[in-house]
Amino acid sequence: MLYREAGDFKGSYAADIQTFPIKGERYLFWAFVAFCFLVVPFLITPYWEKSIIVPFLIWSIVALGLNILTGYCGQVSLGTGGFMAVGAFACYKLMIAFPDLNIVAVIVLSGFITAGVGLLFGLPSLRIKGFYLAVATLAAQFFLVWLFNKVGWFYNYSASGQINAPTRYILGVAVTGANAPPWATYLLCLSFVFVFAWVARNLTRGRLGRSWMAMRDMDIAAQIMGVSPLGSKLSAFAISSFYVGMGGAMFFSVYLGAVEVTEAFNIDKSFDALFMIIIGGLGSILGSFLGAAFIVVFPVVLKNIMVGGLGWSTDLAAHIEIMTIGALIIFFLIVEPHGLAQLWRLTKEKLRLWPFPY
Amino acid sequence: MNAPIMPHPVAGTEFRLEAHQDDIPTGQTLLKVDNVSLSFGGVKAIREVSFDIRKGEIRAIIGPNGAGKTSMLNVINGFYTPQQGTITYRGVPRRAMRSTQAARQGISRTFQNIALFKGMSTLDNIMTGRITLQKRNLFWQALWHGPAQAEEIEHRLAVEHIIDFLEIAHIRKTPVGRLPYGLQKRVELGRALAAEPALLLLDEPMAGMNLEEKEDMSRFILDVNNQFGTTIALIEHDMGVVMDISDRIVVLDYGRKIGDGKPAEIAADQAVIDAYLGVPHHD
Repeated sequence: MLYREAGDFKGSYAADIQTFPIKGERYLFWAFVAFCFLVVPFLITPYWEKSIIVPFLIWSIVALGLNILTGYCGQVSLGTGGFMAVGAFACYKLMIAFPDLNIVAVIVLSGFITAGVGLLFGLPSLRIKGFYLAVATLAAQFFLVWLFNKVGWFYNYSASGQINAPTRYILGVAVTGANAPPWATYLLCLSFVFVFAWVARNLTRGRLGRSWMAMRDMDIAAQIMGVSPLGSKLSAFAISSFYVGMGGAMFFSVYLGAVEVTEAFNIDKSFDALFMIIIGGLGSILGSFLGAAFIVVFPVVLKNIMVGGLGWSTDLAAHIEIMTIGALIIFFLIVEPHGLAQLWRLTKEKLRLWPFPY
Repeated sequence: MNAPIMPHPVAGTEFRLEAHQDDIPTGQTLLKVDNVSLSFGGVKAIREVSFDIRKGEIRAIIGPNGAGKTSMLNVINGFYTPQQGTITYRGVPRRAMRSTQAARQGISRTFQNIALFKGMSTLDNIMTGRITLQKRNLFWQALWHGPAQAEEIEHRLAVEHIIDFLEIAHIRKTPVGRLPYGLQKRVELGRALAAEPALLLLDEPMAGMNLEEKEDMSRFILDVNNQFGTTIALIEHDMGVVMDISDRIVVLDYGRKIGDGKPAEIAADQAVIDAYLGVPHHD
């Protein structure tokens, strides 16, 4: 009975354009946010932190970024892994160069640096689109990973080629490094996700978001309505890379702690991010989260059921896991090509009338 | 900021499309096309055409298929750059211009084949028409609450007037891909109007419509012209409609101008009749 719009009248345009126009849904959302911030930190265990929640949150930011570029602006990118690497290495160099700089500032700055790099690799989008652009961004993926592997300056000439995140503190609590308590890394990631998901929502619902979507749906008409292709495409590349870069920085500093670039940021990461937004829903904020959850959380759950619950051997479980995920991807794409977010929208449409649909 | 939702505003009473005001008096030249030629490789789409559009009039551009009418509109709003000739808009002559600049100077248009943003709702499509009028920068947009939201609501009010004017309030939040053809045409007109144009270009606004839809669309075009004083240049094939609603007509055939004048003069013009009947000519 929570999902009712009867009696929920809108008296102003401000009320009409809010994110959750239905009262029940709004309350539910804030209750969920409060639960995440106030209750989960007390319950979280190292296992939940390391294998499920923190990677999910970080991938959500990456998926949000890619969704801005691909889902909203219609520019396909296969360079996500490369841009995550830019964020990670920017984060590493900043942490080493400015040991006193707050980690939050470091992550945001890494985002800005990645935005600059993304802007550069976004330039081809002014001339080419579709698959050709995908190939151009694929070049970014391979070039960036090669660069970080080849040039010793980026990993401070360490013998292994690895970069390691030193311990950094917020208000005296470690959030990076081996000794960081789970609740601290969790809260750091959650805060980033909360703030930047809100920013993404704001950007996509206003003028900028409409100019992106106009460019995606009909670029010539958009141009004639006064949308500058240069401005809207490059802003999408920059903002998308900003998100992906922050995701990469956190992936390195908060989550992994030590990174070898060819392993951590290879082409698989680019595909993972692309799968997330396709399965979650292109052009949807919620879809980014659902997609990230599907790709990150679902395999873990599946493995726990098969190995922990049913007592199967790990290698069998691993193979079945891959097959199940693949089958489910195909299933979802057939049942709902617009992703899980669309499935949720349709469910809500039905819920409005449930249980008396006539 | 908490602008209340209006109880049905009366269209045209207090609402004006004035974002692109100029001080050209009604009846004076707003746009002048001078000796314009455009070719694509060996194909000469437009050959040395000159005509003018006066402020406040409905100017029709007619001609058989392939006469260069749509190319002419594309030249006017900067989408094509002619090889020769000048276009003088508001007293400023130019040849090359970006279409985004034309939009910023108050030239707005609809398309022959509907070019709506399919993934967006009616409301968002029409709001997109106001993109050149929205000024808040990235920072304020990222914050949303405050100036960006206030600006959004201010523009929403204007868009609601247009929605009301075009009688499409019931499809406000429907994705345009789901709308029937006639309504899509109307939404497209709404999007062009939302930019508050000084010059509105309509490319076959009634193509593919039935009689009733044509009557509706004619009424909207006349109302836009009467109530808002918007100058309109339109391409149309339905001669009955063209003769009824336009003030002056320019006729193109094979890229050449073969007639220019009031509807009655054009209807009596032998060259025009020949062109429409397909009397063979030499070139």
